[in-house]
Amino acid sequence: MRKQEIQLEINGNTYSISVLPQRTLLEVLREDLGLIGTKEGCSEGECGVCTVLLDGFPVRSCLLLAVDVRGRKITTIEGLSKNGELHPIQNAFIEHGAIQCGFCTPGMILSAKALLDENPSPTEEEIRIGLSGNLCRCTGYVKIFKAVQAAALR
Amino acid sequence: MRYFEYVEPKDLNDTCQFLSRNEGAKVLAGGASLVVLLKNNLVSPSHLVNLKTISGLDTIRWDDREGLRIGPLNRHRDILSSPLVQKYCSILAEAASKIATPPIRNMGTIGGNLCHAEPSADFPPALIALGAKLKLISSKGERIVPIEEFFVDFYETVLSESEILVEIKIPPLPPRSGGTYIKLDKVTNSIAIVGVASIISLDEKGICTFAGVGLGGVGSTPLKVEKAKEILLGKKIEENHIDQVAKEAQFISNPITNVYASAEYRKEMVYVLTQRALKESLKRALKR
Repeated sequence: MRKQEIQLEINGNTYSISVLPQRTLLEVLREDLGLIGTKEGCSEGECGVCTVLLDGFPVRSCLLLAVDVRGRKITTIEGLSKNGELHPIQNAFIEHGAIQCGFCTPGMILSAKALLDENPSPTEEEIRIGLSGNLCRCTGYVKIFKAVQAAALR
Repeated sequence: MRYFEYVEPKDLNDTCQFLSRNEGAKVLAGGASLVVLLKNNLVSPSHLVNLKTISGLDTIRWDDREGLRIGPLNRHRDILSSPLVQKYCSILAEAASKIATPPIRNMGTIGGNLCHAEPSADFPPALIALGAKLKLISSKGERIVPIEEFFVDFYETVLSESEILVEIKIPPLPPRSGGTYIKLDKVTNSIAIVGVASIISLDEKGICTFAGVGLGGVGSTPLKVEKAKEILLGKKIEENHIDQVAKEAQFISNPITNVYASAEYRKEMVYVLTQRALKESLKRALKR
């Protein structure tokens, strides 16, 4: 089995690692780099808890091979806060009680960020479509949509 | 996931040479379907050849004579947002908008969608209705295959081990054309229970000059309603013509029962949805 030397650009930092080609980005983030904000759920691309941004677009890190994302800009939930200050979407989630167990939260927030970057004032329907790839097993959707609406106004 | 060697080819020629020398190799496009199969050890390639390192496979081009030419590495998102697709064959954008969720549309590619050959996939009915052709290449040369002949069985296509899809060609539609893709799903954008795409073109007198109907989810492959042309061409389309095509769609369907729906239900629904799709297509064609 042959490992490959790769460099990944995550949250503005460059990581040089040695990986087997069948390692997913999710495994590398959590197990090799200790970036455990990204969660593992179904691992089949259905649930969205492993969502990260790839060149600004939400994708499933469980379905991406790490060797396949060399040279791309990866953003995980750890990359949102700046100088110890939470991102406005993170604050809006806290203020609106849009977190119950919290397992879907990193993916929800990253999908919301991609949505608001592209469409700064989405309608509720656009928010629902934008977050349709992220499941919340606590079913706290209404508060999540409210938090995203509030973040859009900031 | 079992071990495989990861390969980044320089160009198409390099890819074809590599595939002809390594029978167990598989190509990787977006990975949205393939990585799930790899994880479950449903496929165990010796090598994974990443097509994303080759430039020029993600273009969308238009010319008046040839129509639309779409590179296989366009993601569903790219198809959905392409001004050329929206202008010249909006039903393809309509189909793309009904595939899964944004993160999957940001990963999955149209070429991967076709080569995965899921019989309920959303692009094939639309491409069948549009009369699309696929350009396949290997180290031995190239061939052009009409899309309805591309699919062989559940998850099986005519592609040989060393062959790859390099272009989707969609001929230009006449000016007064209308079409739609209607999908019946359990929750929005989940896998199609039945998907029906149709296109109708009319001349100035309202006579049908082109018709195409494609079906998904009602057989081991996506299906083309071949007789739609015979029934509709040269006619001023009336309710009874639409009914005949819908009955024909039902007749050629041979669905299975699975967790999403029974075969009987799919067979009923393909009749209903074909009627709806044709009526909507006609309405849109008349507006042009």
